Amino acid sequence: MKFYLKLGFILLAFCVVATAILAYVNSVTKPRIDELKRVAAQEAMAKLIPNAEFSDVVIHLPEGASTPDSLVYYIATAKADSTKILGYILSAEKHGYSSNVKTMAAIDTEFKLINIKVIEQAETPGLGANCSSDSFAERFKGLLPEKLLVDKDGGEVKAMTGATITTRAVTNSIRETIAIIRKDIESRANTLPEVEA
Amino acid sequence: MGFFGQLFVMAVSAIFIQNFVLAKFLGLCPYLGVSKKLDSAFGMGMAVIFVMTVASAFTFLIDKYLLVANGLEYLRTLAFILTIAALVQFVEMVIQKNAPALYKSLGVYLPLITTNCAVLGVAILNVTPLPDGSTYNFLWATLNGFLSGVGFTFVLLAMAGIRERLELVDMPKSMRGFASGLILAGTMALAFYGFMGLKI
Amino acid sequence: MSFFKELTKGIIKENPTFVIVLGMCPTLATTTSVKNAIGMGIAATFVLICSNIMISLIKNITPDKIRIPVYVVVIAAFVSVVDMAMAAYLPDLHKSLGLFIPLIVVNCIILGRAEAFANKNNVLNSMADGIGMGLGFTLSLSVVATIRELLGNGTWLDMRILPQSYNPMLIAILAPGAFFTLGFLMAAINMLKEKR
Repeated sequence: MKFYLKLGFILLAFCVVATAILAYVNSVTKPRIDELKRVAAQEAMAKLIPNAEFSDVVIHLPEGASTPDSLVYYIATAKADSTKILGYILSAEKHGYSSNVKTMAAIDTEFKLINIKVIEQAETPGLGANCSSDSFAERFKGLLPEKLLVDKDGGEVKAMTGATITTRAVTNSIRETIAIIRKDIESRANTLPEVEA
Repeated sequence: MGFFGQLFVMAVSAIFIQNFVLAKFLGLCPYLGVSKKLDSAFGMGMAVIFVMTVASAFTFLIDKYLLVANGLEYLRTLAFILTIAALVQFVEMVIQKNAPALYKSLGVYLPLITTNCAVLGVAILNVTPLPDGSTYNFLWATLNGFLSGVGFTFVLLAMAGIRERLELVDMPKSMRGFASGLILAGTMALAFYGFMGLKI
Repeated sequence: MSFFKELTKGIIKENPTFVIVLGMCPTLATTTSVKNAIGMGIAATFVLICSNIMISLIKNITPDKIRIPVYVVVIAAFVSVVDMAMAAYLPDLHKSLGLFIPLIVVNCIILGRAEAFANKNNVLNSMADGIGMGLGFTLSLSVVATIRELLGNGTWLDMRILPQSYNPMLIAILAPGAFFTLGFLMAAINMLKEKR
């Protein structure tokens, strides 16, 4: 018994040391990682709609409808003319094949997709992971939200070979998010200049 | 859908459609290494089912009440793999004591259940959100671990059955062992692709 | 055995993929393109060298009965640290290798070498073993990936090799193709060995 206690104690000591090191590294690196992520998101936005300024809008979702209770999207206005709305940027998220796939999408004032960019994913290398590529984003350009379904589900998004689930996650998350923000955008359509002022 | 309906869907999905070995590439080392004999494959399969079930239950509780509750998600890998390693150690001691013959035939692969990615894979999968945004509860996480283990054992036994028969077949010497095993696995993976179209 | 001998044995004679047959999961999962294969190889080599050194250092203070849990803790902690540090200070590198880092924890080559080599040998030899095994692993991944990418996509390292008219053999990139490629490669290696 005493022997096993000693073993347990040694193992515990190793764990404590490992945990302490991890906690320290985490505390040092976390702010940096978050900052890098923020910068990356801003760069992605600037790439999706160039020459624009972004202002964020927070929508509070009805309680119990979904897990997060609020959602943020961005209104993009022309740098030269702050009353001219170029479009909107939204971020969508859904679980794909082996990871959470986070996507940013830009839509114009008619809700037509301008471009998308997958920000975060850990899908199967070579198959689902290809969703970060530009050729994948190409498949979404110019689509209306009504057409935003994987071809196998009757829509117009061509699924990647061997990665239908990843494609579906990206497609459906964008469509659902557009549906939510669409109501909000339409309700404030008349008051837009004031929002931007 | 009632409880049993849901259970059935999960079972078909874990065993056929999303099989850990053939569709997710997890747990391949024991799949290829311990599938030469039906007996040892059976022993390995049982050990994996046990470890996967118990590991799913433990890791789910640890994740929910220790890690997420305290904002320590970055310790997840460490905590999970340690739980699995401790469990495997326990199983090893039990088998060594009660079934020395089985212990001998499982050999190096027993400690390697620890790095059987299927075990860590199911533990992590259990705590990641599902496509519809919900997560498993304790019961379903444990059941998922159990059924995934069954799926692993199923293909392991099928493989061992085929390989035992192939022992007597006259095939080129260079194809014996792992080479033919891998090609068999490829054929099986191809066959399992047929299940992917299944809509449930 | 000399330092140099430990270094070279992993590349061909004791190649972790083709001869010892460990680390199958990453071998099959990440060889869909040469770029991924090299990324995985480098990430694994790095962790392998460091974990071998670490385990060789602590081998005398770990009781035999609990050595595997201890090694697992060391490796997992190490991998997490590498992951976080890379994300914070080398974000570009993390972007291309980051995907593979969590996979390394369950790469049985790492624990396999800890168990079979590092806990019996001194630090210098363990380091050599780690470098050799890592290089051997990277090499075999690249070979498998070359075949799969060429057949399945007509490219090598994203460069087009086969003419546009080539109809890609998609199965080479999908799961069964991984098994077939590795199986036939292993048979070919066996054949070469016999001829010798």
